[in-house]
Amino acid sequence: MALAESTRKKVRPIGLLLFRHETILLLVLVGEWLYFNAVGRRFGTPDNTFDIMRHSAEIGLLALVMTPIILTGGIDLSVGSLLGLCAILFGKLWRDGGLSLPVAAGCTLLIGACAGGLNAALIARLRLPALIVTLGTYSLFRGFAEAITRGVDTFTNFPDSFLALGQNRFAGLPAQVWFFLPVAIGIWMLVHRTSFGRSFRAIGFVPDGARFAGLPVERRVALVYVLAGLVAALAAIIYTARLGQAKADAGTGYELFAITAVVLGGTSIFGGVGSVHGTLLGVAAIAVLNNGLVHARQPREVAGMLTGALLLAALGASEIPKLLARMRAPRHGAAPPLSPNNPS
Amino acid sequence: MNRLFAFAVCVSLALFSACHKSSETSTGTDSGGKKLTIALMPKSKGNAYFISCKAGADEAAKEFGVDLLFDGPTEPDPAKQNEIIENWITLGVDVIAAACENKEGISTALKKAREKGIKVITYDSDANPDAREFFINQATPQGIAQTLVDEAARLTDSEGEFAIITASLTAANMNEWRKNIDARLAEKYPKMKLVDTRPCDDLKDKAQAEATNLLSAYPNLKLIMAICSPAVPGAAEAVKQAGKTGTVKVIGLGLPSENRRYVREGVTQSVILWKTKDLGYLTIKAAADLANGKLKSGATEYDAGKLGILKIDGDSIVLGQPFIFNESNIDQFDF
Amino acid sequence: MRKYSRELTVAGVLCVLLLALAITAPAFYEPQPLLSRLAREAPTLILACGIALVMVSRQIDISIGSLFAVSSVCAGLLAAAGWPLAAVLGITVLFGAGLGAVNGALVAGLRLPSIVVTLATMVILREGLRWQQQGAFINLPDSWQWFGLSQRGGQITLISCALLALFALAWASRNFAGIRFLYAVGSNAEAARLAGLRPQWMTFAVFVFMGALAGGAALMNVVQSPQVDPKSGTGLELKAIAAAVVGGVAVSGGRGNLWGVFAGVLLLASINPALTYLHVEAYWEKAIQGAVILLAVVFDGLRNQREIS
Repeated sequence: MALAESTRKKVRPIGLLLFRHETILLLVLVGEWLYFNAVGRRFGTPDNTFDIMRHSAEIGLLALVMTPIILTGGIDLSVGSLLGLCAILFGKLWRDGGLSLPVAAGCTLLIGACAGGLNAALIARLRLPALIVTLGTYSLFRGFAEAITRGVDTFTNFPDSFLALGQNRFAGLPAQVWFFLPVAIGIWMLVHRTSFGRSFRAIGFVPDGARFAGLPVERRVALVYVLAGLVAALAAIIYTARLGQAKADAGTGYELFAITAVVLGGTSIFGGVGSVHGTLLGVAAIAVLNNGLVHARQPREVAGMLTGALLLAALGASEIPKLLARMRAPRHGAAPPLSPNNPS
Repeated sequence: MNRLFAFAVCVSLALFSACHKSSETSTGTDSGGKKLTIALMPKSKGNAYFISCKAGADEAAKEFGVDLLFDGPTEPDPAKQNEIIENWITLGVDVIAAACENKEGISTALKKAREKGIKVITYDSDANPDAREFFINQATPQGIAQTLVDEAARLTDSEGEFAIITASLTAANMNEWRKNIDARLAEKYPKMKLVDTRPCDDLKDKAQAEATNLLSAYPNLKLIMAICSPAVPGAAEAVKQAGKTGTVKVIGLGLPSENRRYVREGVTQSVILWKTKDLGYLTIKAAADLANGKLKSGATEYDAGKLGILKIDGDSIVLGQPFIFNESNIDQFDF
Repeated sequence: MRKYSRELTVAGVLCVLLLALAITAPAFYEPQPLLSRLAREAPTLILACGIALVMVSRQIDISIGSLFAVSSVCAGLLAAAGWPLAAVLGITVLFGAGLGAVNGALVAGLRLPSIVVTLATMVILREGLRWQQQGAFINLPDSWQWFGLSQRGGQITLISCALLALFALAWASRNFAGIRFLYAVGSNAEAARLAGLRPQWMTFAVFVFMGALAGGAALMNVVQSPQVDPKSGTGLELKAIAAAVVGGVAVSGGRGNLWGVFAGVLLLASINPALTYLHVEAYWEKAIQGAVILLAVVFDGLRNQREIS
């Protein structure tokens, strides 16, 4: 049976599988859009669309960079806390350190990369489980943010030219979109068009096999975590511009949103399967849902519950045919097919 | 190629709907006879204090025939308030009344609302003055801090150690109160010493745990000041379980209903608050009057109907002084 | 000895911390606050034991905080309506088990990844509870606190219950086949299946068990004060998982024992009080907790590296 399954896998290439999940998600997104368009008077307006873009820029960045991490079979729970830490360090470097905003921004990006480097060192070098390491850094980074500001300090009064980054439009689109797009395209190219990026899936699929095949697994895994730190720092700067304020609790809960978007987009949490455009669709689906429910005059809690239900439905939808097949298959001696999505 | 095509479909659909809608937005502004829409935002939903404000707001909405939208963040994410306000701007509400978690952060969004012609008032916690027309103040931060400190001084004979339990170290209004508490202490009560401040993350159980530790770690503690509403019953329970009822006093900012039993048992001496229902009522009434021109900037008095004539201090409409609930009067209130 | 090096290390660090406190802040050991603290941590210990078993079978459950909150509210509402203790206990545990069964069915039946399933159920339960309760506390009848016993009696009862559960589960994990099988499933589910076990049913069972434990822990928390806060349980899943991991339970399954978890719970629970007793500012708490978790894991990793090389 296992052999038959593997031949079946050859006949049904991975690409088609991915396409199917993303199509479902695309249909969900279109369905959401049409529904809220009908229900909400002001839903489909350009203003509202730009609102959606503005509100999901930082989380979208985190979800984008979470995709290669999860593809390699890892996870990073610390990106939200790192956003908070970078935000206050940015404010501190500018206000108390006297640095100019561009220099402070550059230093913040560097610090973000170094913090990502801490995760990278522990996960890639010491081969510690990503879940636990990033659980630790999740507390550690937030803790540093709180300790540095004593919880109380906030950084405000940024010059208008900086705030325009998060609040104004540039060439017709919200300014942060012009930061989001290059990162999105860059990460998409990295994951889908370079052999470097294609190796992520191999690493997630079978890390030891990848190692034996000569891939520098540790270095590549380390790189994605450093990248995550860098992008979290960028997201922190955009966040500060959008809000006009940097506080230690910035980014609370963003990591769960990012993970939800990535998984919704079809990336397997076990690694080896997934796509960046799926993640983008996932971010869009959740952002549109949250925004649309406001227009539909529904309370905020409903948005949370529906997001959870959507996640289960999206995952379940692709699993139910497999379940039915398993139930129809003869019991004795039939091995459950081993796949990256089903190690047990 | 297929994926790119799918993306293209998505984007064109979005643009199509956007084009279709934009013609509608130019018409449909508020005109006489249309119900006013007032959007009310708490600091966070699921907070009993703001629910009681909403009760008053609902009453006012019914009385004045306005459409009341109530929404707020469910998580303590500083950015969420801004996002909701921006959604409301797009929705085209008439007035926004917000309790601000982050003074500067939310001002960004509120200023945008004002630019679009939406009236903005704040209540409970203020934004920057240029971001709103009026601030419905139940009591100034100075007033609240003074009442707290004066009560604490009264109960401890103006000397001794006391500790504060706050919600989180980052909460803006708590920090505002802290500053004023420190100022008041320095000004009037040099013999009182604030030995520690611990956060309870807005959780009653954690407040109880923190209070238990405080009672034991500072054996000379005379009073616990709980400035976050779940912390008041939490601290009271800790004092009770430690057997220090009466020895260590408990005061705080909280709801009468949550503290009734401790006040009756003598564990909690004073619960300081204000009539939250009145605050909610006043907020909606002022919002409605602002929208239809009855309340104008520069006014020094405001006729708040059943709440009487209230003074306007600059651009703050003050409900009154903080109210002290204690053994003698707590049974009269049901919120 | 080497097999238990992690557990012994954690126990060692705990002893050092306790010793340091005994010298610098002996007030830490005052009996009444100490009893209160231990009683407060009893539900966490139960949850940590449960999550340890879940992790041993190579799954994870991040919805236990929400399960705890929903069960607390369920128990509170029933108690406020006048139901007797035994009935409330039974129903709360069954309710928790039922919610756990939903997790179990999705993970074991549909083969969905447990982290995603429990992330979804966590959000759904949390938001649903918020919607329903709107933050309102539930007032309990006076006879409810401490099971109707005295405060000291109630606290000792709770601590004993938690320790009893710990002992029972620790004994069972050596001697009871059902739990030993979890280790097998966690190490290599396919091998376990070939050996005649039914991994899917075991997975389902462990989630149901976790839910039941969450219900029981919720009740243990409810009896400690006269009001139920619907927000209780916030952050509890991270506390329990961190304690289990610090105590040596492997996220990849198949390894870990409950004594280590016990040491982990005590260690992490001592950090915050230690800060208060040592008069350290509160804003260091998260940083120190993160550091402790990282140190525990790094120490392990370095040891593994040395063994490999």
